[in-house]
Amino acid sequence: MMNRFNHLPTLKIDTTKKLAFIYKGKKHYGVEGDTVASALFANKVRIFGRSLKYHRPRGLYSLDGECSNTCMEVDGIPNVRCENTLLKDGMVIKEQNVKGSAEKDYLGFLDKMDWMMPAGFYYNVMHKPAKVWPIAMKQIRKAAGLGKISPDYEMPGKFDEIFLNTDVCVIGGGPSGMTAALCAAQKGLRVILMESRPWLGGFFEYRSGEYKDGQNLHERAQDLAKEVAAQDNIRVFTHTSAVGTYNNNLVTGFQIGKKEDVFDERYLEIRAKSVVAAAGCIERPLIFDHNERPGVMQIGCALRMAKTYGQLPGKKAVFSIGHDLGLEAALELHDLGLTIACITDIREDGQDADLLRKIEDKKIPFLKGWVATKAHGAKIVKKISISSLDGQVSKTLDCDLIVASAGMTPVTGHITVAQGTLKYDNHTGFFLPDKMPEKMHAAGRILGLNDPLSIEASGKLAGLQAAFDCENCSIQEIGEAKKALESLPGPVRGSKLVTAPVKGRKSFICFDEDATIKNIKQAIEKGFDVPELIKRFTATGLGPGQGGIPGHNLPLYVAKYQALSDISIRPTNVRPPLVPTLISTYAGVNHKMFKITPMDEMQKKDGGVFRNIGVWQRARYFSNDFTCRKEIENVRNNVGMLDGSTLGKFRIHGPDALNALQRVFVSDMTKVKQGRVKYSAMCNDDGCVIDDGIVVKQGENDYYFTTSSGRAGQTVEWIRYHARYDGWDFALVNLTDSLGVINLSGPNARKVLEKIVDIDLSNEAFGFSEYKTFDIQDTVPVRAMRLGFVGELSYELHVPSSYMKSVWLMLREAGKEFNIQNFGVEAQNVLRMEKCHIILGQESEQRTNLLDVGLGFLWDRKKSDAKTVGAVALHQAEGDQTRLKLVGFKTQNNSRAPRDGALVVDDKVRGYICTARDSFSLNEAVGMALVEAELSKIGTRLEIYEDECGDDRIYGKVVAMPFYDPEGKRMKM
Amino acid sequence: MALTITCPICGKRNGYEFKFGGEEKGPRPDEKDLTPEAWCEYVHMNKCVAGVQEEWWFHKDGCGSWFKIHRDTTTNLEKEVKDENRVQKAKSGGQK
Repeated sequence: MMNRFNHLPTLKIDTTKKLAFIYKGKKHYGVEGDTVASALFANKVRIFGRSLKYHRPRGLYSLDGECSNTCMEVDGIPNVRCENTLLKDGMVIKEQNVKGSAEKDYLGFLDKMDWMMPAGFYYNVMHKPAKVWPIAMKQIRKAAGLGKISPDYEMPGKFDEIFLNTDVCVIGGGPSGMTAALCAAQKGLRVILMESRPWLGGFFEYRSGEYKDGQNLHERAQDLAKEVAAQDNIRVFTHTSAVGTYNNNLVTGFQIGKKEDVFDERYLEIRAKSVVAAAGCIERPLIFDHNERPGVMQIGCALRMAKTYGQLPGKKAVFSIGHDLGLEAALELHDLGLTIACITDIREDGQDADLLRKIEDKKIPFLKGWVATKAHGAKIVKKISISSLDGQVSKTLDCDLIVASAGMTPVTGHITVAQGTLKYDNHTGFFLPDKMPEKMHAAGRILGLNDPLSIEASGKLAGLQAAFDCENCSIQEIGEAKKALESLPGPVRGSKLVTAPVKGRKSFICFDEDATIKNIKQAIEKGFDVPELIKRFTATGLGPGQGGIPGHNLPLYVAKYQALSDISIRPTNVRPPLVPTLISTYAGVNHKMFKITPMDEMQKKDGGVFRNIGVWQRARYFSNDFTCRKEIENVRNNVGMLDGSTLGKFRIHGPDALNALQRVFVSDMTKVKQGRVKYSAMCNDDGCVIDDGIVVKQGENDYYFTTSSGRAGQTVEWIRYHARYDGWDFALVNLTDSLGVINLSGPNARKVLEKIVDIDLSNEAFGFSEYKTFDIQDTVPVRAMRLGFVGELSYELHVPSSYMKSVWLMLREAGKEFNIQNFGVEAQNVLRMEKCHIILGQESEQRTNLLDVGLGFLWDRKKSDAKTVGAVALHQAEGDQTRLKLVGFKTQNNSRAPRDGALVVDDKVRGYICTARDSFSLNEAVGMALVEAELSKIGTRLEIYEDECGDDRIYGKVVAMPFYDPEGKRMKM
Repeated sequence: MALTITCPICGKRNGYEFKFGGEEKGPRPDEKDLTPEAWCEYVHMNKCVAGVQEEWWFHKDGCGSWFKIHRDTTTNLEKEVKDENRVQKAKSGGQK
């Protein structure tokens, strides 16, 4: 392992703490603080993977994860951005898109086949004859693409989400961002500061140049970071990228967890009163031949490798730069021991005099108006050709490192996705903010500033402007801050060169998609004249780097090629996420949430097989016989217990309670009598039935009603919605969770219940469809109803949830002598189907109205139509013969029951099966189906088509409903 | 997602907490002379304003009241309304 610097004050690694990792099956070591990329580099790995299309070798380039060059498979997760991922002990790292290894890739020859693959070849070539395409596509997809994932792959890790509220949100933890945060915080505002690197400091953090009065930039960065940390009202999120900004000052981002955090990544959604965009600049890539060969890297990458990660990025370097930062970096790296063969500066003049003098002092060869034209070396850089800007004079130098950068370019995504606009600025060569989104302020390098003091002054101004948005700052103060900024050096003149004087066949504008300058020219020749179209046709910027590399070079190059005026240069649109984000981060924590009933634990002990049904988890079966034969026969012949606690249960009371019920129920609710149960239904304004349940009157203007399990969540909303104009006075209480329900059913139900209650349960005293309240042992208040959903004598007991277990145990004890048994949701489903009692959602879908399912008798036509939800539509639908009708059917020739959802067909689809089962009570297969009206007559033969049944059909015959106990004697026993 | 809504009872909250209840169309029409067309118009037809629209929202993860706001549909930003009775109306579950 390479010796690391361990004396630099800017280092973020601890060389005394070694971390082991597996790379290509072998153990290697990095140190604490390393990213995966820096640890691999320290282990002399130069080629990290191969490119998408041409399988070109790729290596370190930006160190901020702006391209897919260093995307690798880490611990089984593909496309991990190694430059942003901190090394952990025991990590397993693999290369991507290689056949063989990254050093020796058998598909490397594809690089020479580029003539076969012009821009848009995927659309242009190999689709004639059509037969070729599927074969070609398969091969192409095998050879291309980054990272592999199996369809069964389950993402490991812990993900979280937080939703924050703040006064000011600052994007970017560099000097301007920190100053803005401090400024706003000192005004007493709550501030959130987001920084995508694991530490604050931005461009100051790793540089040793002078800030002011002999203080270093990195010392200044540390001072600012300390001030930020000391400010209680600034919440700092490091290793956190802002990936979206929206109107209303919503900022989204994701944070990568530290070792001690309980999450690996977490999604952030921040609501702020004001936003400061201080994301700074990235380097604009310099385009020349083989400009992405491993060994070519950007200024920041080369310098930070040394200053942050303690390793020299190479031995002998040539610089080809267009910004003073490049000269500064060359000097720093020279002092750390890097041999610099030459610095070529794109700019003919305008360099900082002080830097030039130092370069001269150190006798570093320096060429103004020169640029790199070609990197030599089959796999990694061995030599470089440089030439004058016009390409007239050139020479070749030996080197193993090329530090290349055309200049800077601001990170403007946060401004443009929030609908701010940019304008090309001829002085800086930048896209500068033109119209900022409301209550968003830009600060720092994003404005083209370079002077450290100006950068901080702009941060102060933005911080005050944000405070002004929060009504905590005066206009005078802002005026002063503006003046202070204006008195300092303004934006610097930037280099505007995009490409070296090259033809561009191997000059890459986008690394992720292997798009070259030649490809761009091809697209333009084909007539794609706008960057937005060229981007799509050539896929430039569509890769995982989200346009980080080609983002601003593409529009600049296109403008230059077409010789357009400055004014018409427009950057292409960017969209969230601005930084690649894991889908699992967006998904957040495990959302498998469900409610359990008070009987959950006991039913599990009794062998209940649970299923998620709506928001609930319910016992669907009580054995592994999913036909539930025993459960069904037990209810028909003996007595069973069902946990019906999921029913929606509501109390409505107050002077206008009856009015509200009249509005939403189709029946005349004045006819609800005390002591009686009224079954009714609710429709929507289309007459489609949305809910059914029972209503009982508990007192004057005081009602208790149930809804179906799935509908309970919307009931309050529904009733209040339809009463929203009336100003009625009623209170609606959702009792769904506070009451449990036991359904005691079967011919022996009375005998069981009699043992635990002391009221008269005889059919005369408590008959079918009646409602009673009583206490069990003077303690447990019970609402009891005689209902017949399953078609047997049955009691529905509504009991406070806290007493459910006691009552359940009492019934079980009382039922012992009859051998009382549990029955589950599926048994109930079959039992009620035999009685042709419908379940909404099973015997109905969205378009099914009250009349279709045969519940028209519930509807009271004397009620005011317009005031009863659904009544107008029901009137219109009456007599409509084009609607599906609910019918009962039996299968013919002893055929088994078709599956639920099977289709009723002849030469077209005529309906579908709602529920059908082999009935043990009837010894035949029966079911209900929604079919076209003309098939609904008794005796009609139904042809039933099941998925994948081929030519086989099941045949059924329409019969009268219900199938079981048509006179309903058993439930009235 | 970027939407915030000001509930007259609970104050300004994240749009996630609310459920949309459609454009403001006035109370259910009178039955007298009600044609199927007029009814259909009332139930199904919307103005779909590109601009400021008055509309209903339900605070489902909050106080459970229905209320109206003005929202600019082009920017998804709420516009302030001056209605002194707004809180009272929401508290009573609707409008008097």
